[in-house]
Amino acid sequence: MNEALEIALLVFVVGSALVTALLRDVLGSIIAFSAYSLGISIVWVFLRAPDVGLTEAAVGAGVITVLFLLTIAKTVRPTGERTVERVNPGALIITIAFVAVLSTTVFALPPVGSSESAVVTDNVTNYYLENAYTETEVNNVVTAVLAAYRGFDTLGEAVVVYSAGVGILLVLQKEVFE
Amino acid sequence: MIELLNERLYYLVAFLLMGIGTYMMIDKSNLVKKVIGMNVFQSGIFLFFIVIAYVSGASPPLVTAPGPYVSPLPHVLILTAIVVGVSLTAVALGLIVRIYGEYGTLDTTVIREVSEDD
Repeated sequence: MNEALEIALLVFVVGSALVTALLRDVLGSIIAFSAYSLGISIVWVFLRAPDVGLTEAAVGAGVITVLFLLTIAKTVRPTGERTVERVNPGALIITIAFVAVLSTTVFALPPVGSSESAVVTDNVTNYYLENAYTETEVNNVVTAVLAAYRGFDTLGEAVVVYSAGVGILLVLQKEVFE
Repeated sequence: MIELLNERLYYLVAFLLMGIGTYMMIDKSNLVKKVIGMNVFQSGIFLFFIVIAYVSGASPPLVTAPGPYVSPLPHVLILTAIVVGVSLTAVALGLIVRIYGEYGTLDTTVIREVSEDD
């Protein structure tokens, strides 16, 4: 049951990514991308990462879609007669080569869900899982690591978001202050 | 062989998503679509990270739930990466709006021709 649902979801995700790539209309492409983000946020929940799923649904399917829509509202939405774009053989060959090279690593990777993989058995993982509650009194280990153990990382992240905001203001200075 | 692949299906999906992202970034002449491609590529990488943290039958990393838990560390990395990715997309789209104001088009071939004429 679970297996079938998972596979159906993965097919949906890859399918909507393909639709995003092949639609000619930019607006259609953005909507397909938003559906793709929503699908992948459910994949995060299946993989027991609810925090990532929430962020992805709010940010990937929400904020990013709004940003894209604002962009095409301020610029152009090229129209064409064709619904689906023609496939470019050159780009396709490069893509296939890229995926093939990545796929050669598949058999070297641990099976999905293995409890003996390096990440899961690592000391760092187990330290956080065992001590997060006693040291930070936060029940959610992801939050504990994000806000307490790696607080400086999160501060750096805030700096990135701040500089992005300043960057956008600088780039769009003309429009903002005219 | 089939069983080995079935156990690693998520990796293949992640690689496929990265491939679709690459294709969009190479092939599309519209700048907005290139940025969408970048986002698809990014989420392929995110999928790879979340999958290596996964343990079948485990709980999410909430200590109120019974163990075993999935590894929380990749989740933290990806949360940070998602926010940084949004900042990146926002700046890229800001630049695109500026490019449109300057050139009146979002087509890279036209932009290249115009900037070569200058």
